[in-house]
Amino acid sequence: MSDAHAGPFTDMNGSATPPPAQALESAREELRDATTRGLGGRAALGRYAARVDALLRQLFEAAPAPAQPVAAIALGGYGRRQLCLWSDIDLLILFEGPIGAADERFLRGFLTPLWDLGVVVGQQVRELADFSTVESDNPEFLLALVDARPVAGDRTLFERFTVTFHQPATHAHIVSSLGTLIDARHARFNDTLYQLEPDVKEAPGALRDLTAARTIASMSDPTLLTRGPVDAARLEEAEDYLLRIRSMLHLISGRNQNVLSHELQEKIAEPLGYAGAQPQQQVERMMSDYFRHARTANRLLQWVRDSAPTPVGTNLGLFGRGVRFINPIKAARRPDSWLRLFAAAVEHQCDVLEDALTVIRQNVSRFAAEDFFPTPESRDELLRFLKPRAGLYARLSEMHDCGLLGQMFPEFQAISWRVVRDFYHKYTVDEHTLLTIRNLERLASACPPSREPFGSLVEDLEKPELLVLSLLFHDVGKWKDEDHATESVRMADHMMTRLHMPAESRELVEFLIRNHLQMSRVAFQRDTEDPEIVKNFAALVGIEERLKLLCLMTVADIEAVSPETLTPWKEELLWRLYVDTYNHLTLSYADELIGRHQAGLSDLLSSRPADIPEPEITQFLEGLPRRYLQLASPEAIYAHVRLSQNIAKDDVHIRLERKESAWELTVVTLDKPFLFSNICGVLSSFGMDILRGHAMTTPKGLVLDIVQFIDEERFLELNVGAGERFSEVLGDVVSGRADVTERLRRREQSVLHKATPRFPAVVRFDNQSSRRYTILEINADDALGLLYRISRLISHQGCDVDLVLISTEGKKAIDVFHITKGGAKLTESTQHALRADLQRMLGGSDEANQEYRPAEQSR
Amino acid sequence: MKLIKSIVRPNKVDEVREALEKLGIGGVTVTEVRGHGKQKGHTAVYRGKEYNVNLLPKMEVEVVVDDNIADDAIKAIIQAARTGEIGDGRVFVLPVLQSYRIRTGELAV
Repeated sequence: MSDAHAGPFTDMNGSATPPPAQALESAREELRDATTRGLGGRAALGRYAARVDALLRQLFEAAPAPAQPVAAIALGGYGRRQLCLWSDIDLLILFEGPIGAADERFLRGFLTPLWDLGVVVGQQVRELADFSTVESDNPEFLLALVDARPVAGDRTLFERFTVTFHQPATHAHIVSSLGTLIDARHARFNDTLYQLEPDVKEAPGALRDLTAARTIASMSDPTLLTRGPVDAARLEEAEDYLLRIRSMLHLISGRNQNVLSHELQEKIAEPLGYAGAQPQQQVERMMSDYFRHARTANRLLQWVRDSAPTPVGTNLGLFGRGVRFINPIKAARRPDSWLRLFAAAVEHQCDVLEDALTVIRQNVSRFAAEDFFPTPESRDELLRFLKPRAGLYARLSEMHDCGLLGQMFPEFQAISWRVVRDFYHKYTVDEHTLLTIRNLERLASACPPSREPFGSLVEDLEKPELLVLSLLFHDVGKWKDEDHATESVRMADHMMTRLHMPAESRELVEFLIRNHLQMSRVAFQRDTEDPEIVKNFAALVGIEERLKLLCLMTVADIEAVSPETLTPWKEELLWRLYVDTYNHLTLSYADELIGRHQAGLSDLLSSRPADIPEPEITQFLEGLPRRYLQLASPEAIYAHVRLSQNIAKDDVHIRLERKESAWELTVVTLDKPFLFSNICGVLSSFGMDILRGHAMTTPKGLVLDIVQFIDEERFLELNVGAGERFSEVLGDVVSGRADVTERLRRREQSVLHKATPRFPAVVRFDNQSSRRYTILEINADDALGLLYRISRLISHQGCDVDLVLISTEGKKAIDVFHITKGGAKLTESTQHALRADLQRMLGGSDEANQEYRPAEQSR
Repeated sequence: MKLIKSIVRPNKVDEVREALEKLGIGGVTVTEVRGHGKQKGHTAVYRGKEYNVNLLPKMEVEVVVDDNIADDAIKAIIQAARTGEIGDGRVFVLPVLQSYRIRTGELAV
């Protein structure tokens, strides 16, 4: 024992406490005494644990101060206050952050005296962040954490740990891995509790089974313990009995001995109070009691295992074929938790059980629309819930049936059971509305081959949940008999105000609701072979995303009128209009530039922020394609104008922004060779997966590139200063101070050699659709660095890339380049050479990769 | 009696029906059909991929009229359905031998 702990200790109040060795011995003596009298059960062990707690607190306070908050936490049996005489003391030493030298000194100062006392300590040292992911490969540790109890140190830290650790997914994992551990443990005892020399800790029916039953119940449904075949009193009696035997075994053997051998049976029966003339009689009576209690434990565990739900959320359990609230009384008071019930059912592809729906049905009228979404998180949850996927329609129908949907959205309630008689509609307005969502859900999750073209559009959507929201509200205006689209927009506006939706999303939803009949009108009632009709429709939708959304909305809406309404013939007319409009938007937009008297321009100028003079906006916009005005919100445009301010030859102005799950990079610079490929190359060199984007160049050479990408390795999120590092590299590469080739080489080698095309790449040149440009359309397997390689080859052929549209559809990359060479469209021979280059590269052969590498190095 | 069977552009159906109504012709059968005439489809391109559109969606409008107004009806249909471009469609005129009303079984004259 170190000198520091040899003398009398002083507690925080200044009063003397006994030295650790003496404190421990005195605690042990008390437990020995109780055990000898046959009373080494729950109460005695609890007292012993409390005295060990006090000892640990004493050592904790005496240890050198750590540099950060730290907590000593009791785990496992010690955490449950069932510490036997020779049990290991399992501890978690939890630090708030990474451990430094001072913290290590604290650890040594705290633990060494314990070791010196001869206590076997099972310590785990962790920092709080370690618990943000489940340690799924260490089920015993996870189980020990279930019984975590703060002993010394920072209480807040313990509470933060509790919140981090107790997550439904962790609970589900623990329950599942505990089942495996139980099966393996029972198998070691041949799956029978009737052992002549039972292990009172490990055997079937022994202490671990009782603990397991309690753990499973607490992680899934705490009421299981009171509803089962064993009442609480019998459970406690059994546990106390088993603990008294275990205490006696430790006392008599003088070590951590849990096997009740024949020899020990004879030694402990009498002290435990079993009468009988012969030791054999005493033993038989004791073992008979043992088996009775072990059977109780075993039955309880069996019942709990058979009846426990899988935890699927806070207060939510998966019971066989459906989810329900575990504690309905608690659930009834928390309307903000109800959506999670339905979200869990969608996630686990099951129903919501009737009793849970009844809880909602009986309580829903007590709450107002705002009560369901009181926080930004709850509003985000709603939007996540609305993503079209299998089960959404069924859950929305349940929500409608139990009154929840109407209470969440009083606007929707207005069309509940609403009958509008016309020649076509076969269902009430509310059911028609929900069916539109079912139709979209089918396109997204179980698309019949004949509708594959429409199904593929769903994959490509940026925010499909806004389409579902628009569908939910597209006909709410039908509660009135007048122009329902306008009334629906008005009502949706109320809802979006309540949900604090951002302006961009609101505008999109309003657009879709207002125009939900336009695409069918044009497709079926206008001459779509007339290019003017297509051009006007393209002007209405403006950008591809809106076209896709409106197209899907139209298909889903028509199909929900009656089973016969959406004929293959109508689908074909819609698809033709979609394709013609898509082509107009993607292939002809270069010819439609922003002019001085452009519609919408005056609003943009009059609402401009004070720091941007009017000429700066008009100069910036001059020569950009008109689609830019529909693509970017006014706020985004002002931000882009600011980026363009005072730009000089070698300047690269960059903005990096988080956009929900993706990031958006905006680059404003003056045109230079290899610019677009360099930007793509830098993104790829950081492992970024480019999703969608637009590159635009004005005739004066101002370049505006907007690229959205996924940072799968979470480089930008996890590393301090990552954004600055990224911008620095991008600036260096674009301005020619650094070469991206070297940065990319390692990443590419691993990616390129395993690339086997899933479908043949498409390379198509079009000299017709645009007056100024040759359009190059490429449709290929998405791969890291693909855009970099394509644009590199284009530049190597001496071509200028002025405009690029980047999109992805599932695993497919769809890119459209507007290119020229020497200011003119590409000649046949240039097209031929570039096509050959591209096809070799897209084929993924080594030859192709070697083909473009030396060229890069020569640059 | 004549059966007038017209193949027209989908967006022209309403105009054709209105024109026929003006002549007092009320009973019309409209069917979604696909086909091609001289206008043998075309090549469409979607996302760089070319594909042939051979059969085009059209509407078939059928009416049965008395011989004395058949010519007027044909003229009205042609006038309503015409754009002057390829793909405007065709009108076929067939003799009708007999016509029965199913509800009563009587021969309609």
